[in-house]
Amino acid sequence: METVLTTHFFDERYRRMDTYRQYGGYAALKKAFAMDPGQIIDEVKKANLRGRGGAGFPAGVKWGFLPKDLSRPRVLVINADEGEPGTFKDRVIMTRGPHLLIEGIVISCFALRAHACWIYIRGEFVREARIVDEAVAEAYAAGFLGKNIMGSGFDLDVTVHRGAGAYICGEETSLINSLEGKRGWPRLKPPFPASVGAFGLPTIVNNVETIADIPWIVTHGGETFAALGVEKNGGTRLIGVSGAVNRPGVYELSAGVNLKEIIYHHAGGIKDGKELKAVIPGGSSTPVLRPDEIDVSYDIESMAKIGTMAGSGGVIVIPEGTCMVRSLSVLMNFYAHESCGQCTPCREGTGWLKKIVGRIEAGKGREGDVELILDLCDNMMGRTICPLADAAAMPAQSFIWKFREEFNRHIGEQKCPYGNRF
Amino acid sequence: MSVAFSETGRAEFERLLTRYPDRKAVILPALHLAQKEFGYVSDEAIAYIAGLVGTSPAEIEGVATFYTMYNRKPVGKYHVQICRNISCSLLGAEHLIAHVEMKLGVKPGETTPDGKFTLSLAECLGSCGTAPVMQVNDDYHENLTVESIDRILDQLP
Amino acid sequence: MPTLTINGLNVDVPQGTTILNAAKEVGVEIPHYCYHPKLSIAGNCRMCLVEVEKFPKLQTACSTVVTDGMVVRTETEKVRKAVTGVLELMLIHHPIDCPICDQAGECGLQNYYMKFGLHKSRYALEEKVHKKKVQDIGGQIVLDAERCILCSRCVRFLDEVTGTRELSFFDRGDHSEISIFPGRPLANNYTGNLADICPVGALTSKDFRFKCRVWFLKAFDSICTGCSKGCNVDAHFKGDILYRLKPRWNDAVNQAWMCDFGRLTYKAMNEARLLTPFVREEGARKVAAWGSLLPEVAFRLKAAADKGGPDRVAVIASPQSSNEELYLLRRIATSLLGAGNLAFTPRVAGDGFADDFLIQADKNPNSRGAQLLGIPGGAAFDALIARIAAGGIDALLVFGNVVGALSEEETASLLAKVPFVVQVGTNEGPVSKAATAVLPSASVAERGGTFTNHAGRVQRFRLGFPPRGKAKNPLEILLSLGNRLGAGWTFAGEASVFRALAETEAPFAGMSYESIGIFGQGIRE
Repeated sequence: METVLTTHFFDERYRRMDTYRQYGGYAALKKAFAMDPGQIIDEVKKANLRGRGGAGFPAGVKWGFLPKDLSRPRVLVINADEGEPGTFKDRVIMTRGPHLLIEGIVISCFALRAHACWIYIRGEFVREARIVDEAVAEAYAAGFLGKNIMGSGFDLDVTVHRGAGAYICGEETSLINSLEGKRGWPRLKPPFPASVGAFGLPTIVNNVETIADIPWIVTHGGETFAALGVEKNGGTRLIGVSGAVNRPGVYELSAGVNLKEIIYHHAGGIKDGKELKAVIPGGSSTPVLRPDEIDVSYDIESMAKIGTMAGSGGVIVIPEGTCMVRSLSVLMNFYAHESCGQCTPCREGTGWLKKIVGRIEAGKGREGDVELILDLCDNMMGRTICPLADAAAMPAQSFIWKFREEFNRHIGEQKCPYGNRF
Repeated sequence: MSVAFSETGRAEFERLLTRYPDRKAVILPALHLAQKEFGYVSDEAIAYIAGLVGTSPAEIEGVATFYTMYNRKPVGKYHVQICRNISCSLLGAEHLIAHVEMKLGVKPGETTPDGKFTLSLAECLGSCGTAPVMQVNDDYHENLTVESIDRILDQLP
Repeated sequence: MPTLTINGLNVDVPQGTTILNAAKEVGVEIPHYCYHPKLSIAGNCRMCLVEVEKFPKLQTACSTVVTDGMVVRTETEKVRKAVTGVLELMLIHHPIDCPICDQAGECGLQNYYMKFGLHKSRYALEEKVHKKKVQDIGGQIVLDAERCILCSRCVRFLDEVTGTRELSFFDRGDHSEISIFPGRPLANNYTGNLADICPVGALTSKDFRFKCRVWFLKAFDSICTGCSKGCNVDAHFKGDILYRLKPRWNDAVNQAWMCDFGRLTYKAMNEARLLTPFVREEGARKVAAWGSLLPEVAFRLKAAADKGGPDRVAVIASPQSSNEELYLLRRIATSLLGAGNLAFTPRVAGDGFADDFLIQADKNPNSRGAQLLGIPGGAAFDALIARIAAGGIDALLVFGNVVGALSEEETASLLAKVPFVVQVGTNEGPVSKAATAVLPSASVAERGGTFTNHAGRVQRFRLGFPPRGKAKNPLEILLSLGNRLGAGWTFAGEASVFRALAETEAPFAGMSYESIGIFGQGIRE
């Protein structure tokens, strides 16, 4: 299978400018400079490149939202805040192939006519930020960043900006506020970042992987990229498999690969010879699937059709013998911890969900608690400034819908049938 | 009792100012810098940064307390942060956490009496493929087992 | 002008109007907390969710701009459930402080709970998150963080209006808490507004704390007398005691705000008042009756003018008097007494602090009025004081409680040079301690009239309750004095005096109480 990103990741030196160029790096940039910015955007549209951060918004369409008039400078911001539980692919790109990201940034900024880019990288990724910083310095030294890049007359400055520990900053407007030095509160939309974004300027926020795909798209053409995937979801994806599998890790596969195949073929099946109990397919915020539901294409539309999401490409595999209530409790703790606190339904709702589920797991569940959780989820979903409330509610709802018995048992027996452990 | 950046720190702060069109954008990097230089983000550090940036200490405090990585109180020489999110839990993080609690004699949020270790629970660290994972100061430690955790912690000077 | 259809009612609104404001036009009340017309839009409380056709999710009315043909519904089952849901979530950690909370009776949570809630709590008491209560955070404010609904109005006010940013949210999630930075309390002159804008009892007034339940208070329109800005206020009282002043909306003067100093000016109307007429005989006060004192005062003033000539009579006017009162006083002084010695001064003791927002250096409400009505100030006042000090005055009529910025000793020694000093004043002070006769007058709460602010805006203040004790409306005193001096006035009250004033005084030409309305009217420049 053709790979777009990981082709040379086996070579540890690939993160260095000299090795990257030996493998053909920055040739795409040269080609891009000979193109018209509009042409590049067209290729990205033809590529059916869906945002790789989790929302899956078509990148070419998002790029088209920038105002036609160039009077206000536009900027690109890279979302390297990778915080969705089960997701760990951007880290691989940044440590193994940072120049893919940088070359993608230069091409994208040229296409968008942006002259400033910030890479917002989650604070915990200290080593990763250092690697990217070194790569950025190499790019400046080689003339691929800064003034008059490759004699093209195009200027671009890139700055690595570290976050400081907040999952919510993966949401694009929260990220922008955090970049501006504020608390990571998401913003009301409209206005959208493309009209009022970072520092009040028209801004495009894209995920690391989305931008890293750009050089290949320029080299081989959008249609070729699209053909690697399926109709509305072009190209390959970096899919991270974690949990109880034999070969956890990041796999570059077609966007239309089969989910069952991901787990049983690529990731080597369930650890310790156990049976599969459940799969959270696209990062913790996506509705859980039962084993009989995973024989499905992993592309965005197919996953949506069965009531879940491909999301951030983080497949979490849950084996038999795992307490689903306890698993949900871990997730509810997470969302309550990460809620920014700005709007009422999420701030209070995530805290309440955490308490109810925790109570049920501790054997102190009350009659009506399950209905209360579902009612609470109903009051949270679609009522908030950003989707974190939905991200907390979707696991809660789906766990209850698909594993109701376990919740009933916990409440009925006033104890965890699994002995309060995983 | 006030604090101030060292000469290199001040130079770094000035350099940071040139990377953004708005002065306030340096607040997050400045807080990281303060934590590095002063060991933790103290009240004095907050007031100092407020002065440098040109805003109120309340605003800086609001930012500092929003993010988990800024320590408003001193932490031990080694801040041991063990992930307790879903993928790590599925692979035994709870057991590892209990082991470390016993080994160090502290609960999450506490520091050992000799000031060497502070134990915290972390949310997803973004390395689920090598779970269970922990972060000690700036470094990730992956594919943890009870044995490897013991080895790592025992070897810290 | 886009047309909005809301609950079946059509309304045309200016471009850029939000659903929330458009709804107000047709009397549709959409519940909200975080929205305030004078602050940026936050959209975080989520109470104002409404159904908008063609939108799959409910939208916040405060932040959604009306587009032509938009159809909105606010009373559907979906909206009702959403609002009740948000309210329930807002209440789960809210302490049940109502019995001891000052906000009771004017509380956003109470009000909307009665309208949209009326539910039983599904949340266990022992699981409530607790935050710091009863904190003195400086200025005029007490903070109870546990009652806070995190609407962010206070943070936005201190950022956008005062620019001082003393309050911020700390931590995140349901542990988010409003706080000041330790050791850095509120340090601006507008802290009182925080208690006004806080929808609940999280930020309350120190001064008003535990003083009175709000449902016992009545309100009337007034003008703050703290400086020449003339901020419009709502004065709240019970019986004949004032409890607090709150800003009244006027975009032309103070928008929705007032300063901390102005807020406390009500105290002077309650305390140390002159409530009985008296004369000073052999150094002691002797109570007098209006019926005998007024004729005596008129007689003594006239006699002094007749005997020694009009130059031996002086009148000190007060920039605390209304336009109507100053007009009558000027006519008494110039036409009836023929006194050339008529003057006023805006000077008061103190530092004359001013800022670029509301606070003016002139700490009187009607210096402009005095000046426009032809009462000399400046050098004329200094000359008048000099004449008095030189013993050149036999009878002095003083309006107000002080003489400019003179101290008590200076006032005493100055007034000792005048055989007959009659005061028309409201409060004990240097003048009442030295005057020969004291005519107690009504405070700004106990009468009606107009002031002219620093910018030439004429504004009405209204009567709240009748004058306390035996104090009289100064207008009545002036009418009585004037008629005893031969004026022949038949004015019924301040409105008719203003009509006369508007006829002869050029800056006020064409004005009437109707044209002044509730927002005031600028003078003819």
